[in-house]
Amino acid sequence: MPSTLERLAVPQHADESIMSRGRRQELLTKAFDSRSGRERPGQFWKIDLDGLDFSALNVAPPSAPRIKAPDKPGVIACDLTTAARKHPQLFARAFGSAAGALNSKFAMLATALCNTGTFIYVPADQAVDDPIEITYTVENGALFPYTLVLLDRGAHCTIIERLEGRTGDTVCGIAEIAGGENSSVTYASEQSLPAETQAFFTRVAAPGKDSSVTWCVAELGAALAVTSVDVAIDNPGVQAQLNGFFFPRDNQHVDLISTIRHNVGESQSQTLIKSAATGHGQARYLGNIRIAPHAQGTQASLRDDALLLSPHAHIDSVPALEIGANDVKAFHGATIGALDEDVIFYMESRGITRAAAEKMIALGFFEPVIERFPTEALRGRLRSALEAKIA
Amino acid sequence: MSERGLRVQELRASAGGTSILKGINLAVEPGRVHALMGPNGSGKSTLAFSLTGHPGFKVESGTVTLDGLDLLAISPDKRAKAGLFLSFQYPAAIPGVKVANFLFAARQALHPGDLPPAKFRALLLEKMDLLDMDPSFMGRYLNDGFSGGEKKRLEMLQLAMLSPKYAVLDETDSGLDVDALRAVGESVNAMRASEAGKETGFLIITHYPRILQYVKPDVVHVMIDGRIVKEGDAELAQRIEREGYDTIREEIAQIA
Repeated sequence: MPSTLERLAVPQHADESIMSRGRRQELLTKAFDSRSGRERPGQFWKIDLDGLDFSALNVAPPSAPRIKAPDKPGVIACDLTTAARKHPQLFARAFGSAAGALNSKFAMLATALCNTGTFIYVPADQAVDDPIEITYTVENGALFPYTLVLLDRGAHCTIIERLEGRTGDTVCGIAEIAGGENSSVTYASEQSLPAETQAFFTRVAAPGKDSSVTWCVAELGAALAVTSVDVAIDNPGVQAQLNGFFFPRDNQHVDLISTIRHNVGESQSQTLIKSAATGHGQARYLGNIRIAPHAQGTQASLRDDALLLSPHAHIDSVPALEIGANDVKAFHGATIGALDEDVIFYMESRGITRAAAEKMIALGFFEPVIERFPTEALRGRLRSALEAKIA
Repeated sequence: MSERGLRVQELRASAGGTSILKGINLAVEPGRVHALMGPNGSGKSTLAFSLTGHPGFKVESGTVTLDGLDLLAISPDKRAKAGLFLSFQYPAAIPGVKVANFLFAARQALHPGDLPPAKFRALLLEKMDLLDMDPSFMGRYLNDGFSGGEKKRLEMLQLAMLSPKYAVLDETDSGLDVDALRAVGESVNAMRASEAGKETGFLIITHYPRILQYVKPDVVHVMIDGRIVKEGDAELAQRIEREGYDTIREEIAQIA
């Protein structure tokens, strides 16, 4: 009987140009030995992330994602294996550049078992205005997508990642951004995986001096969606933004942890999270802002609103500011509540039925964060998805 | 029987177990302006909320009919569909819902399919202009971060866009500066002069007769301690302006 490691390490298709077999084995062993690092937040939380069993995964054979990219000189948008073979130097510059944040169980698992992925490279001073769209589809077993983004000095692009599936296999992925000086990138993910999926995502960014990085995270599908977003600000002048929303219903669980690390000063970050839950949906959000002792001149804000639409729904919301410097502007605010009866009555008094009023209020609740997502097409899809969830 | 008018008979209502309305009799006629005046705490807003069906107020007894339809038997949204409108003293804010979208949803609910979006938009711009509202208002979230004056203008905009049969204006004048007050008054007058609004009956609730300088009432009702104690014409409002409510209180005490 082969051991779990032998069975899962998929040595047959492991692409040695991305990573040596030995390194994969090593990472995988480490991943299995690690704990999730996510504590059980309270008595209501029904999922024990450390108790999840990954030993029976049916890992899908390697596949290439669907990539749609505008044709611009010097811009590379291809699958990860091709990038590692054809552009080894660029690949090496980006791969693992935000590695400090990839030391978690799920990130190690995703890296070791990586069976699909995308490499995006935007050369210096090139602006890609139309979005680069990547679609990962789960269809032949567990999927481990790795999206690697490298922007050179002054480069600009928008990336939209779509996660969909035909089967309920596990998805465990990484998105890693290495941003050059003065670059700007918006990375939006639209997770609409099938209802029985367990999804684990690690999203890390290492922005360069005076660059901006914006994460937009929409968790719509899956039975369990576990996401970490980590931005390590090691250069001054960085503008980091995280916009996220989720809406668990039925028995869905969403677990989002964001960490913005202001390791140097003179940088800004904005975090905006909107979460609602209905049915027996559960969510928790841990929002961390860490300002290092010498990171003077930092401006950080974190805003997190939660809306409970059913008596059985549960949302834990934990904003946390850790401020080591004394010359900073830091703000955090969190609200949690049910629908306001006075607001419902106000709408009813205008002829709108109670059901329609509740729907409008709930959709409106998400609107400030949806407006921060790129492209009208994506915003439209997100609104429709939310509308379908409320119905 | 379908007698026209917004008719309130022997209405008793309470809030939190406290009796507030103690037998209200009042009839608002189509096309007429009724003023309901009274000192703070006399129950004017309770009447407005009882007519529209606010869940925080309990109707104990009495009847309310709108052109013969029993309002107390139906939900707040059906009351609006029957033609009743309330301009709120403290309108609710709805973040994420844009003014134009909200108004379109309300207009569709009350007058299904009568205005295609393009015509709706043109009408909205026209009415906003009348109320000195900048077109950018359409894209703002409903009452979210609005000033007091902006909120009241938005209530008047809704009144103009929804063309109700009966409109209750609950202290729309309170907290307004002169310009906003004039805009509110002009908006009511413009509506009354229009084809869509000439049959609308108004119940203007105020404890301060200022707004009545802009909109002349046909009938003035005075409410004290949960009862209508006196009725008269516009002259009664002027008397209240001069003398306050004390002389009316004394008058009632003498009769009792």
